[in-house]
Amino acid sequence: MLQKLTRAPFGLTLPSFTLLLMVFGVPITSLLFMSLNAPDWSFVNYQRFLSQSANIYVLLQTIEISIGATAICLVIGYPTAYLIVTAPERQRTVFIVLVLIPWLTSGLVRTYAWTVILGDHGLINNVLVASGLASSPVPLIYNRFAVFVGMVHIMLPMMILPLLSVMYNIDKSLVAAARSMGARPFTAFWRVFLPLSLPGVRSGSLLVFVGCLGFYITPQALGGLRETMLSKLIVNQLLVSANLGATAATAFVLLAVTAVVLSIFGLDLSGSRERVRGAVGTKRRSWLSAQGAMGRWFNELGTSWRASRWQRQLYRAAAQVRWVEFAGAGFMTVVMVYLLVPGLIVIIMSFSAGDFIEFPPSAFSLRWYVAFFEDSTWTTSLSNSVEVAIDVALLATATGTLAAYGLGRMSPQSRSILTMMILMPITFPVVIVGVAAYYGLFHLHLIGTKTGLVLAHSIGANAYVVVIVAATLANFDRRLEQAAMSMRAGPLRTFWRVTLPLIRPGILGGAVFAFIASFDEAVVTSMISGYSIRTLPLRMLENVTQQIDPSIAAVGSLLTLLPVLWLFVLYVLYWRSRGKPQRAHAQAEA
Amino acid sequence: MNEHVKSAALAERKVSAKMSDCVEIEFRAVTKLYGALAAVKDLSLSVRRGEFLTILGPSGSGKTTALMLLAGFVAPTSGDIVISGRSVASVPSYRRDQGIVFQSYALFPHLSVRRNLEFPLEMRGVKAANRANQVGRMLDRVHLADYADRMPSQLSGGQQQRVALARALIADPPFLLLDEPLGALDRKLREQMQIEIKSMHREFGKTTICVTHDQEEALSLSDRIVVMRAGRIEQTDTPEALYDRPATRFVATFLGEANLFEHSEFELRTDLDQPPNTVAIIRPERVRIAAPTAPTCPDQHLRQAVSGTVEDMIYAGPLRRYQVRVGRSTVVVREHVASGQKIFYPGEAVRLDWLRSDLRIVAE
Ligand SMILES: Nc1ncnc2c1ncn2[C@@H]1O[C@H](COP(=O)(O)OP(=O)(O)OP(=O)(O)O)[C@@H](O)[C@H]1O
Ligand SMILES: [Mg+2]
Repeated sequence: MLQKLTRAPFGLTLPSFTLLLMVFGVPITSLLFMSLNAPDWSFVNYQRFLSQSANIYVLLQTIEISIGATAICLVIGYPTAYLIVTAPERQRTVFIVLVLIPWLTSGLVRTYAWTVILGDHGLINNVLVASGLASSPVPLIYNRFAVFVGMVHIMLPMMILPLLSVMYNIDKSLVAAARSMGARPFTAFWRVFLPLSLPGVRSGSLLVFVGCLGFYITPQALGGLRETMLSKLIVNQLLVSANLGATAATAFVLLAVTAVVLSIFGLDLSGSRERVRGAVGTKRRSWLSAQGAMGRWFNELGTSWRASRWQRQLYRAAAQVRWVEFAGAGFMTVVMVYLLVPGLIVIIMSFSAGDFIEFPPSAFSLRWYVAFFEDSTWTTSLSNSVEVAIDVALLATATGTLAAYGLGRMSPQSRSILTMMILMPITFPVVIVGVAAYYGLFHLHLIGTKTGLVLAHSIGANAYVVVIVAATLANFDRRLEQAAMSMRAGPLRTFWRVTLPLIRPGILGGAVFAFIASFDEAVVTSMISGYSIRTLPLRMLENVTQQIDPSIAAVGSLLTLLPVLWLFVLYVLYWRSRGKPQRAHAQAEA
Repeated sequence: MNEHVKSAALAERKVSAKMSDCVEIEFRAVTKLYGALAAVKDLSLSVRRGEFLTILGPSGSGKTTALMLLAGFVAPTSGDIVISGRSVASVPSYRRDQGIVFQSYALFPHLSVRRNLEFPLEMRGVKAANRANQVGRMLDRVHLADYADRMPSQLSGGQQQRVALARALIADPPFLLLDEPLGALDRKLREQMQIEIKSMHREFGKTTICVTHDQEEALSLSDRIVVMRAGRIEQTDTPEALYDRPATRFVATFLGEANLFEHSEFELRTDLDQPPNTVAIIRPERVRIAAPTAPTCPDQHLRQAVSGTVEDMIYAGPLRRYQVRVGRSTVVVREHVASGQKIFYPGEAVRLDWLRSDLRIVAE
């Protein structure tokens, strides 16, 4: 019996791992072999890749763009996070919601918004030409500038959220202590706050960097042909060429770049983190430390979720000089405008009554929404998306919850390794996940089927659910389970009657994120769907650059308003359920 | 008539004494290793039916582990645990019959007080109507009838404690396990709850094993106390015996205060011979303090007297605590405050004396 109980945690992760191995693990391993020309074993595919200067050019450009976008995100994100953390409580909550909304909005819609704003006949050029400031449209799009504008816009929340979570946990008394020892505000910041916030800088930068490496839709839509990313190359190869070995080699080059840059970057700043960990007393097995950098990379993802614990009171820098306040307010305004205005423009445009897209609209109507719902190609794709997303949410929530529950019952060593594996689909550049899933589903004859789409989306969604449910379980008091068992409730009844009701908010939150992840997915979908199943993002993708069909504005508006709905759902799930224990706490202390 | 009642009661008590001789719970050489660390080492212990036994020890001494072993949440590395004559080492906790009060109560936060109390009955398949009855009676018993529909978070600490106790008792388990039951309460409430627990123990007669590091709690609640140290049992005895005749220096100093005569400059005169590796101790309240010139008592030949200087005097309500320097060692004296008593101030010379029979020899 005891043996059964100790083996059970691994059993609970089985559904997750079956899914993961089938769609990701096995195919990526055989792709690796294939890229190495197994069973003959040679580096032919890699040599061929590296021998073409065009490939090297794209590779370097990918790294360049990713580093550039990460740096810009950091430069904008750090002060933003700092200002949010030092803002008064109520403003802070508002700011966080404002950062979350674009984070939850479809990246496709945001890219579309920028084509509308930056295009040759876009908003800015219209204003410039109409006002006579420019005689002909200024080239704002199809260049590196537009790529950065679009990518930073999408990645900025990913930088801000981990920074926020780390900054919130910096003990406010430390800064105060430095000040009391005579450090001036800036010195206190430089010597105390900044070093302590470095883990957040690391997490945010890694997340953004890896995210950028996997990008291809935004650079393609905003950068034109010259700004090709390696991921675009991979997708092209996959869909056009029959040589899977070559495609796999390209994918592994991208993965290698990811690993190399990350380990350099990871090692750089990890010193301070290790020291902090040492002080806390976390022991790390020596054989694990080789994979430490990797492991930390996999764990970064959790950081952005931990950001949601923002009830913490924080240190508000006292005695701020007036002009600093003004500068801060101005900066925040610019950042928030940058983050939110594109979405707003899409929403307003969608109510235009004109025959083509215009801003500001001369008259308002719902005609494009009507057009959307009357066009069966749009409604079919919408129902496809909803159907797939619901299936994904159901499947991933089931497998992810079981896995999170099992992981929580394991020894820390096995837990960290298994978690690492489960999170791969959301920590690897997305295009690599796509290639692997394509290959895996191809062998299962599931390309171009809804089942295939559901499976491909579920491996990532499963990871989100695991992260969220595990975070909820971490706050769950295991003694409640022991209490139930001491009252003769068996393991199943204990789970059903005690554990499940108490972690339900986390499970529902995980389901919501699984739904969003699937509903917005375009990269993997474009590779798996084989042109036969069109989801809403795919249908949008076809229209993003053309702007012929104004219904796309209506779609974009719907997709932008959805996150507000999701935020509301999450608010109801989390904040309300959290209110109760807090009150209990206050009473217990009183 | 009166005599008759008395003798009947006496007879009844004798019968129940016989009943209580049967062993309900037995630890047989139980060891629990965490890696190389023995959280509990070679623990052998018998608990009699109806007994209130307290496990007392400093932090990390293995008390919780011992309790968790008994509850079935932790499996012993070696040894066996026998409950009512049946080995339970391989029985999962949910197949055992026991009531547990957890340190932080572990009330289900999503269930009302009533539903919390119903839970153990439901798990045992009690019908809804009977459940309501039993819950009602139990709520009355713990004076919480008005709180039945509150959530645990809406109760005070003391009320939560009573709900936890009620929940552990309601399904009438043969024995009750309490893990630091009063640890989270303030002093006043703790005293109240001690009385409450004591009276419930008397009323329900449940075998109870309670873990605590609070010696006052242990002394006032228990029939017997087990003192643990580093995973081992140091001594098991009734509270009085434990305090009056500690077996080891650890027990003597952990339970109350003790003067140790280790390297005393004066020749200690005892009626007992002192084997090697032992030390003589005396409780501070057994030492008498007097002015050097005060007349001696008639029983002076049974006493030993030494002279010293008052170093410190603390007034603590009903007691006065002196610290007296005798040569190079310090002797603590505790004296009950009484009217007309002479008070000694730091620097004053005093004479201390004690009955030689009050000295105890304990192992190092
Ligand atoms: N799950 C565990 N893994 C490893 N070591 C443990 C574990 N549980 C307890 N220990 C160790 O076993 C020893 C005894 O622990 P236990 O919790 O039984 O002490 P305790 O007497 O209850 O202490 P306290 O009064 O602080 O609650 C301690 O040294 C503790 O560190
Ligand atoms: Mg304990």
